[in-house]
Amino acid sequence: MAEIARNVVDGLERTERIVLSGHVQGVGFRPFVYRLAKQHGLTGRVRNQLGAVEVVATGPAAELIRFEQDLIDRSPPLAKPAIDSVDVVEYQHFDAFEISASSASETPRIFVPQDFFMCDECRAELNDPGDRRYRYPFINCTQCGPRYTLIQALPYDRPNTSMAAFPLCPECEQEYRDPEDRRFHAEPVACPACGPQLEFHDKKAGVVAAADQALDAAIDKLHHGHIVAVKGIGGYHLVCDARDYTVVDELRWRKHRPAKPLAVMFPLEGEDGLDRVRQYADLSTAEAALLQSPARPIVLVAKNGNNDLARNVAPGLAELGAFLPYSPLHSLLLDGIDAPLVATSANISGEPVLTDNDEVETRIANVVDSFLHHDRPIVRPADDSVYRRIGGAMHPIRIGRGSAPVELELPWRQSVPTLAVGGHMKGTVALSWDDRVVVSPHIGEMDSPRSLKVFEQVANDLQHLYGITAERIVCDAHPGYTTHRWARRQALRVESVWHHEAHASAVIAELDGGEPHLVFTWDGVGLGADGTLWGGEALLGIPGDWRRVCSLRTFRLPGGDKAGREPWRSAAAMHWACDKQWAACPDTDGLAYAAWRKDLNCAETSAAGRVFDAAAALVLGKTHVSFEAEGPMYLEALCQEPAAPVGMPLEKDASGTWRADWRPLLRMLGDESRDRALRAEIFHASMARLVLDQARAVRDEHGVSTVGLSGGVFQNRVLTDQVLELLRGDGFEVLLPSILPVNDAGLSFGQAAEIAARDSRH
Amino acid sequence: MEDDRISLAHGNGGRFMRELIEEVFARHLGADELDVLADAAPIELNSSDVLITTDGFTVQPLEFPGGDIGGLAVHGTTNDLAVAGAKPLYLTLNAFIEEGLEVEVLDRIVASLAAAAREAGVQVKAGDTKVLRRGEGGGIYLATTGVGVRLPGVKPSIHNVRDGDVALISGSVGDHGTAVMLAREDFGLKGDVRSDAGPVMALTEALMPFDGLRFMRDPTRGGIASIANEIVRATGLGVRLEATIPVKDPVQAVCDMLGYDPYYLACEGRVFAVVDPGQADAALAAWQALPSGKDAARAGRITSTDQRVILETPLGGERFLEELEDDPLPRIC
Repeated sequence: MAEIARNVVDGLERTERIVLSGHVQGVGFRPFVYRLAKQHGLTGRVRNQLGAVEVVATGPAAELIRFEQDLIDRSPPLAKPAIDSVDVVEYQHFDAFEISASSASETPRIFVPQDFFMCDECRAELNDPGDRRYRYPFINCTQCGPRYTLIQALPYDRPNTSMAAFPLCPECEQEYRDPEDRRFHAEPVACPACGPQLEFHDKKAGVVAAADQALDAAIDKLHHGHIVAVKGIGGYHLVCDARDYTVVDELRWRKHRPAKPLAVMFPLEGEDGLDRVRQYADLSTAEAALLQSPARPIVLVAKNGNNDLARNVAPGLAELGAFLPYSPLHSLLLDGIDAPLVATSANISGEPVLTDNDEVETRIANVVDSFLHHDRPIVRPADDSVYRRIGGAMHPIRIGRGSAPVELELPWRQSVPTLAVGGHMKGTVALSWDDRVVVSPHIGEMDSPRSLKVFEQVANDLQHLYGITAERIVCDAHPGYTTHRWARRQALRVESVWHHEAHASAVIAELDGGEPHLVFTWDGVGLGADGTLWGGEALLGIPGDWRRVCSLRTFRLPGGDKAGREPWRSAAAMHWACDKQWAACPDTDGLAYAAWRKDLNCAETSAAGRVFDAAAALVLGKTHVSFEAEGPMYLEALCQEPAAPVGMPLEKDASGTWRADWRPLLRMLGDESRDRALRAEIFHASMARLVLDQARAVRDEHGVSTVGLSGGVFQNRVLTDQVLELLRGDGFEVLLPSILPVNDAGLSFGQAAEIAARDSRH
Repeated sequence: MEDDRISLAHGNGGRFMRELIEEVFARHLGADELDVLADAAPIELNSSDVLITTDGFTVQPLEFPGGDIGGLAVHGTTNDLAVAGAKPLYLTLNAFIEEGLEVEVLDRIVASLAAAAREAGVQVKAGDTKVLRRGEGGGIYLATTGVGVRLPGVKPSIHNVRDGDVALISGSVGDHGTAVMLAREDFGLKGDVRSDAGPVMALTEALMPFDGLRFMRDPTRGGIASIANEIVRATGLGVRLEATIPVKDPVQAVCDMLGYDPYYLACEGRVFAVVDPGQADAALAAWQALPSGKDAARAGRITSTDQRVILETPLGGERFLEELEDDPLPRIC
C-alpha cells in the first residue's frame, strides 16, 4: 500500500486495472488496446474475458488518464466499448505491453457480434494486383467480415467458427499471431492458399469452374441474361440484371412472385460509393449514411424516373430497395458486371433465406440456371436488413444481416431467464435475462417447417452463445400461432401476452419505460383479450398494465386467413356492415355474403390494416394481392400532397373505449367522381387525423402527453409523417421505435419487456 | 299410419309405434332380416376373428346432395369395419326421432338406409326407435352398431406405419364436408358439389391382399389432416402430404371463398391408406381399376425427420397442418 501511495503522490508510475465491456470482441479491440498502450508508452497486458476486455497497464498517472480517454474516443469503428471499472492496483512491473490469452471469467457480459461489410483497407487490397489477396472473395480483417453467421460458440475464436475447417497457411498464421497486424486474431482470416473457395455450378453442365474462373463464369451468365443463385454472408441471393425486363420477369414467374418489389445491389462508385445509386434514386443524407454504414442494409429510397432500371423491379411503387455490395464477393461481382443487379433472398416465399449448398440446389432448382457456391458454411441464416425513412429518421422494416442480433436493455429485470417466441409473421425470437434482451435476426413467416427449424436453432444458439438457459417461455396469446403451439410443447413454464400489449410494451421498453403512455397499435390482425381480432387500438398504461382506450368500429370479416391476400373481403365486409352492397365485389354468386350473413367463418375485427386494405380495394380496384399490404403500398405511392381529412365520429362504448366510426370514409373512398390520388390522400389524412382526435380525447380524460406508435401500419410514411406532425403540433411527445421494427418482428422484444414489467410489479 | 308427422304416440309402445315399425322400418329393411317381434336376433359368424364397432349420426340437414343420414348410418359404421380389415355383416339400428318429423322424410331416410345396407352387403338384425319431444332432436338421430369378420391377410393398424411408407387416397377430398355445409347453411348455391358418401368395401378388399398394407382409415370428421396428425401422435413419425391429393374444382372454389381448408373437411366414402413404398404403385393401380377408386392418387409419405404434418404445396412451399382447433381464428395479415 505504501508503495502505491508513494507512486501516486510522486506522480510516478502506477498500475491500473481497467475492465471494458460493450461491443469489444470480434472487432479488433485488443490489438487496438495494444497499439494504443505502446503509443502512450505504457506496459502491461490486455486480455479477453468472457464478454469483457481486461487491461492491466503501468505508466505515469497522467498518461494512464489520457490512455483511458483514448480507449473510448479512438476505438475501432465497429467497437462500442464502455469502461466498467478503473482500479489502482498494486504496482506491477512489466517489460512491455502484450496481449495475453483469453481467460474464462466469472462475469460474462457477452455480445455476439453482427456481420459486417468489407472495410476500405480490405477493399484496397482486393483491388491491388500486387496483394496476395488480390481478387480473393473472402478477404477480411478485424474491422470487417462475417461474424454472427459463422460463430458456432463463444468465446469468438477461430476453432469456434465455421472457419475451423480451414487451417491457416503460414502467412495467414503470421498475420493472425502478430499484434501489430490488422489481422491479429481476425478469426475468419483467409487467403487463396488456405481459405474458402468459390465453385460455379451450372444446372446443365455440372461443375464448370472453380475459384476465379467461377466468378467469371457467373458474371458471364449474368451478362447473358441468366438468373444465378449466389451464396453470400447470411444466405443465397437470386441475382440477375436489374435493367433487363425479360430476365426480371422470368425471375418473377419462376419464383411465383408477381409483384413484390425486388432489392437492387449497386456497384460501389465515386467518393462515397453512392454515385451509381444516385443515378437511380434521390438520397437524403440519412439514407446515404445508412447505405454506407457497416451494416450495409437495404434502404428504401425514392426512385428517380430517369434511368434504365427495368420497370418490373419495383412496379407501382415510388421507392426502390437499394443496397451496396457488403462482402468482397459481392464487390467483385458488381464490379465485374458494372450494372445494378437484382439481389433478392433465395427462399421459398416466407421462409428463411437458404444457406446450404445442397438444399439450395434442391429447393430452388426451378428458379435459377446456375449457382455460385462457396465452401464456407453459413452456420445460421441472416436475411438482409431493410430500413425506411419515416419522420426524417431511419427506421427498420426488417432486422437481419448487419443489424441483428440486436441487444437492448430493459427498464425492468426478468425474474428468470426468458425466451420470447414472437408472433406468427416476420418471426424473431428474443432471449432475455436480468435487464438484457437479445433479439434474433428476421426468421420468416412461422407456418413452414424451415422457419420453425431455424427458429429452434436460433433459440438454442442464443442460449448457448450467451450461456443462458431459459426457464420460461413467453408467447403470443393466439392459440393457432406456430410459436404458441411450440411453446406449449416445451417442458418450460409458458406465459402468454396479448398481441397488442406486446406491441405497446415494445415501444415503451425501447424508448422510455417510465410514465403511463398512450400507444397506438395499428396492424393487420392480432388476437385481443375480448376474443375479437384487434389492430386499430390504442392502449393506455405502462408495460405490465395496459388497457384499451381507443378502437375502431368493428366489422365481421369472412373467410378466415384469406383476408390478408384478398382485400376485397375487407371492402365488402365494411359495406355489408352498413347494409350496403359493393358493386365491384368479386363474390359474384353471393357465397361469401351468405357466409357473412350466417356468421360462418367470420371474425370480428377492428384492425386498421384491414381498413387500409379496403381503401386500396375501393380506390385501386385491388381485389386480390400477392403479398401482404400490397394494396396499401400502392395507395401510399399514389399520394402526392396533404389533403383535408374526412372526420370520423368518436363515440365511447359501454367498456369506456373511444370507438371511431369509419363509415364516412367508406362513402368518400367509393366516390368515383373523385380522382384516385385525391381519395388516397384524403384517406391517409383522415386516418392520421383520427390518431390525433383519439389522442386528444384520451389526454382530456387522463392527462397523458406522450404517444407511442407501434404496429405494421405505421411503416406507412405518408400516414406516419402526418401523424407525427399532427401530434407534435398539438404538444404531444411521440415515440416511434428506431432499433426494432414496429411490425411483428418487434413482438418478441415486446413480450420480453411486458413479462419483465409484470415480474417487477409483483 | 294416420298422421303425416311423428307424434309422441309413435314412441309409446302402442299401436302407433307398431305401425311405424311395420310400415316404415320393416317394410324397407325386409322381414327376413329384421324380426320385429323377437327380443333378440341370432347371427351367424363363421369366424373366430370378429370385429364390432358403433357410431352415432346427427348430420344436419338430414338430406343433402349425394346422400342422407340413413345412408351415412350404414356407410359410417360399415366403413369403419372395412378399414379395420373386416367384412361387415350385420348392423343394429337405433332411431331417435323428433316429434314433428314428417313421415315422408323418415320413409325416404329408412329407404336410403336399406339401400345402403344392401349395397354394403349387411343385414340390419336388430333395432329400436324412440321419439324425442319437439325441440330435443334434430329431426332424427341414428346410431348403428356393426359386426363383421376379419378378412384374411394383414391386420392393418396405425402402429404398423413405418418411416418411408407411402400414403394413398382413394379419391378427392372435402366433397362430403362441403356438400353438407352448403346444404346446411342453405346457400342456395347451384353447383355440383355432392357428398362422396358410399361404401368403401371394394377399396379395402382390393388392398387386403397386399402384405405391405400397413394402415387404412376413412377420413371422416377432421379430414385427412386429422388422420395424418393421428399417425404422428401414434407413431412419433412425420407425415408429408403431397400436392397430388385430388380436390375437385367446385370444392376448392367453395373452400377458397369461405376460407376453409379441404384437407380438414370430412369424406364419407374415401380411404386413406398407408402401404409399403415398394407396393405403393401396385396398390394405387388396384384402386384405380375400381369405379370408386378411379381418382385415387398418391397422398404423401411417412418421414422420420419432422414429427409434424407438413403439406407440400404445388409451388414448392411447405406448411404445417396442425391439429384442428375448435374455432380457428385468422392468424395472418
